[in-house]
Amino acid sequence: MPNEPNDMDSMTTKSDVAGTAMAGVFILLAAAAMWDTTTMVDADSYVFPRAVLIAMIVFCGLLIVRNLVRPGPSGANASAGSSARRVLLVAAMLGSTALMPVVGFFIAGLGAFLAIMMVAMYDPWTPYRRIVYPLACAAIVVVFYILFTRVLLVPLPSGLLFD
Amino acid sequence: MPGLEYLIAALTPFHIMLALAGVVAGTIVGSLPGLTATMAVAVLIPITFSMEPASALILMGAIYTGAIYGGAYAAILLNTPGTPSAIATTFDGFPMAKRGDGDLAVTLACIASVVGGLVGAAFLLWLSPPLAKVALAFGSVEYFWLAMFGLTMISALSQGSLLKGLIGACFGLLLSFVGVAEISADVRFTFGSRTLLGGIEIVSALIGLYCIPVLIDMVATPDRHLKVTHKTGGFRLAEALAFSWNYKFNLIRSSVIGTLVGILPGAGGSIAGLVAYSEARRASKNSKDFGHGAPEGVQATESANNATVGGGFIPTLVLGIPGTPPDAVILGALLIQGVRTGPTLFTDNGSTVYTFIYGLFLATLLMLPTGLIIGRYAYRTIITVPKSMLVPTVAFMTIIGSYSIRNSVSDVMIMIALGVVGWFLNRFGFSPSPIVLGLILGRIAEQGFVQAWTIGAATDELPAMFFGRPISLAIIAFILLSLFYPLIRGRWAAMRSSTDAE
Repeated sequence: MPNEPNDMDSMTTKSDVAGTAMAGVFILLAAAAMWDTTTMVDADSYVFPRAVLIAMIVFCGLLIVRNLVRPGPSGANASAGSSARRVLLVAAMLGSTALMPVVGFFIAGLGAFLAIMMVAMYDPWTPYRRIVYPLACAAIVVVFYILFTRVLLVPLPSGLLFD
Repeated sequence: MPGLEYLIAALTPFHIMLALAGVVAGTIVGSLPGLTATMAVAVLIPITFSMEPASALILMGAIYTGAIYGGAYAAILLNTPGTPSAIATTFDGFPMAKRGDGDLAVTLACIASVVGGLVGAAFLLWLSPPLAKVALAFGSVEYFWLAMFGLTMISALSQGSLLKGLIGACFGLLLSFVGVAEISADVRFTFGSRTLLGGIEIVSALIGLYCIPVLIDMVATPDRHLKVTHKTGGFRLAEALAFSWNYKFNLIRSSVIGTLVGILPGAGGSIAGLVAYSEARRASKNSKDFGHGAPEGVQATESANNATVGGGFIPTLVLGIPGTPPDAVILGALLIQGVRTGPTLFTDNGSTVYTFIYGLFLATLLMLPTGLIIGRYAYRTIITVPKSMLVPTVAFMTIIGSYSIRNSVSDVMIMIALGVVGWFLNRFGFSPSPIVLGLILGRIAEQGFVQAWTIGAATDELPAMFFGRPISLAIIAFILLSLFYPLIRGRWAAMRSSTDAE
């Protein structure tokens, strides 16, 4: 079984400090959610969430105790590479989504596409790539835009600027 | 054989064309993250109004079966299950693709999907009325325990420790509570946020938790997304066929499991693949390879999830209870056509039903050539397109796909945020699968729990309500087995080795 320490060959062998810390975070989250259930008036609304939250706190407590008593592999997946590019990717996606109601889906999507393309670019910008890649970006965005608006009849936001 | 004349009716050029078009459209739709079988079937309903009911059903059934298979592409090549029923396909499909066997995984998935689809359709044809009674035997408390079974099983199956899997499952359940409560209309766990009022949409969350972490890691390094170890000219069909023949028992067993679990409305589709995967691993001589790219794992999941198509149609047609969301859409289309589902459907509308079932066989068989060709194209695209084009294309698809489910910008924001949370959790050893399944099964579990709790409290028989029914006790036994099986197996192995030493 992959959850057995013997079989976790791909996992690191350092003690699971991060897992213990995450269990602590989950306990805090469960406590906040438990407090939120006190604002609910109908028993149907809180009876099952409370049962789940109690189970979550118990499992987190067991994980913390296990890690303290018998430190074992963390199961964490180490990730190498550029953190800046990771942050830029998420920022480009979040930024374009936030702008969507203002500038419309087409412009926001095209902007996100071009920005993410530059974030993911590791090859040198040859004259060919400078011309072909942006054109390919525009073509993909146009095809998907037409597919969703005309064929699937999804009302993509046109944006406040273009209303 | 019931109604051979209907087989001939299903094999008209028009029906063959409909089945082919439906399978191709469904496969393409299913392979795109965010586009679901439900959406594809719903969009096509107006087209079917002008058709005969049998023709309309063949088209919708073909799209549905194609979309379920199409979900395997994203699961294998991008580690993103196109549909919830393909979650377990990621366990071995993606590791296979990472090591350079993506083409073999896609071809194996195609063969397994065809076999599973045929077995499901065969059960639908011959055993519908008796099997429909199984769905009726399940009450609210049984659905609660079934949901718990799914969650304990995925916690035990996914990478990482069991405790982390269980914590992830609880976190997924917690996410499913966010928004306005279905039963009492209380606003829960939004903490004042308007974005969270609509709740967390399952497919958006699925895309976020699986796909965004892959994208985040793809942009971080210049390495190729998938390893290519050989010339990618063919389907590796002979290799896949030989493997499928050698592991035919796994294929048939998983297909039967998929059909039987698929009969259970709502919970069936997402649990069927997991049960089949778990059983395949338990029975396999290579159980240690599972989770690290075992072809048997892909075979088990893909045959089971396509078998749920036929299985899900059993309660839909015989009882009028839709097994899955696409079944619900198809049921609506049938009602518009004036076809009344129910126990007498097979006698009153035999012509429509049997022509449709034979059409489903036809569509499933057509999935082999079309699936292989589209699968080969999908694999070649993923390995040849430069990363600087692949990443923005997939990211754009996640945004447009998440938006289009409920036409909501909030869903896109939640999808991205959950993706970042999923990436961090994965680094700390928390797998996304239990979280996603918790989110999917949360509603079923809560409805079952609250109904059982209310009835039990009213009749003053709360313990008997949860622990006194035979089916519930059987499911509880399976839950305990899934939780303690590693321990039991370890003890058993230790006992055997000590006996051998003596």
